[in-house]
Amino acid sequence: MAQQLMCLVVTPEATVFDEAVEFVALPLFDGELGVLPGRSPLIGRLGYGELRIRQAGSKTLTYYVDGGFVQIADNVVSVLTNRAIPAERLDLQAAEEQLSAAVQRHAPTDDLQAVRERQINQARAQIRVASRR
Amino acid sequence: MAKARALDKRRKSIRNIRKITRTMELIATARFKKAMDRASAATAYTRRITQVVADLAHAGLAVSHPLLEAREKTEHAALLVLTANRGLCGGYNGAVIRAGAARYHELKETIPNLKVEVSGKRGIALLKFRNVNIDRTYTQFDDQPKFDEVEEIADRYLADFAAGKLDRLDVAYTRFINAARQEPVVETLLPLGGLDIDAAAGAEKTKKPAGTMYEFLPSAESILEEVVPMSFKVKLFKCFLDAAVSEQIARRVAMKAATEAASDMIKQLSSEYNRARQSQITGEIMEIIGGAEALSG
Repeated sequence: MAQQLMCLVVTPEATVFDEAVEFVALPLFDGELGVLPGRSPLIGRLGYGELRIRQAGSKTLTYYVDGGFVQIADNVVSVLTNRAIPAERLDLQAAEEQLSAAVQRHAPTDDLQAVRERQINQARAQIRVASRR
Repeated sequence: MAKARALDKRRKSIRNIRKITRTMELIATARFKKAMDRASAATAYTRRITQVVADLAHAGLAVSHPLLEAREKTEHAALLVLTANRGLCGGYNGAVIRAGAARYHELKETIPNLKVEVSGKRGIALLKFRNVNIDRTYTQFDDQPKFDEVEEIADRYLADFAAGKLDRLDVAYTRFINAARQEPVVETLLPLGGLDIDAAAGAEKTKKPAGTMYEFLPSAESILEEVVPMSFKVKLFKCFLDAAVSEQIARRVAMKAATEAASDMIKQLSSEYNRARQSQITGEIMEIIGGAEALSG
């Protein structure tokens, strides 16, 4: 391979991942985006969802990311997110509880409605990522 | 005998104290290293966020956001003071409280509705002593503040700011400059002011003269909308991390000084003890000789 793609996942608490990869699938705000080496520069807003990283030897790592940004330049994919949880460490039960609590919540104003929606989306994305394994 | 024994007893108790302070020093050193690692991870994150902002500015987008604009009239303000949960860390808590209290009196004169929030048991006690009304307290932050916990607080500030219930937020904490220097500062976090765009853009220019043409997904505006609250949260988180790192350093320095003082005291007491014992022995010998002479004479 002529070009090597690097992937860097940073949260405010730690650098979660920093290695050479073959392919990255990012959960953007409005849909999934696959990145191969040689991608043109991009800044994107992330949604809640699954970050898939395929390394050499078809080893695939899956993380749940909780919003944030991605910056791609010079074959480096930098993922900035609040939280990046490996899929196998997701707490399915807690996510389901959050979902049911959020669905039942009464949200009379726009602000509260936005909070409710965010919690529902977060919980659904977590359940999706956790159950896909 | 009484004096020598008393001295020995004191020496023993000081030895015990030295053991304790020495252990605390070692613990503080280990914790400092851990806290330091976290702080540097956060720095990596902040740097990248700044770069994203710089790239946005580079793309010719006017950076404007409600969080960046100062309010015409500041009626509601909040002052957050970050202190330690535990003492025995030298002047660390006192210095932050002094800086915070100065700002408190300054703000109180102009702003009718000022709320004070304190993190750390020491700060709560010290501010109560200074007759400051505390509206909210946090004691859950230890040497490794969690981002989730800080985010919760940040979200509340952001919601209040958006709802017009908060016009200004000041944070008093100890800024970590390097391992040998930390200073208590009071920073205004809301409104955010500039996002260091000029500095970041300057760095950008020197690095990449041509500038990279970025594609923005879904749009530059949408990214900006998310970047600004995010950088506020990270800034607040950084304050907590800096405070934690500085606390450990302050504790290490204080405990090191205590250990050294204990060592000095042990040395002094040892020589005093030896002298007392020697004089006691001399006294006893004199008695024996005196007795023997009285018998033979």
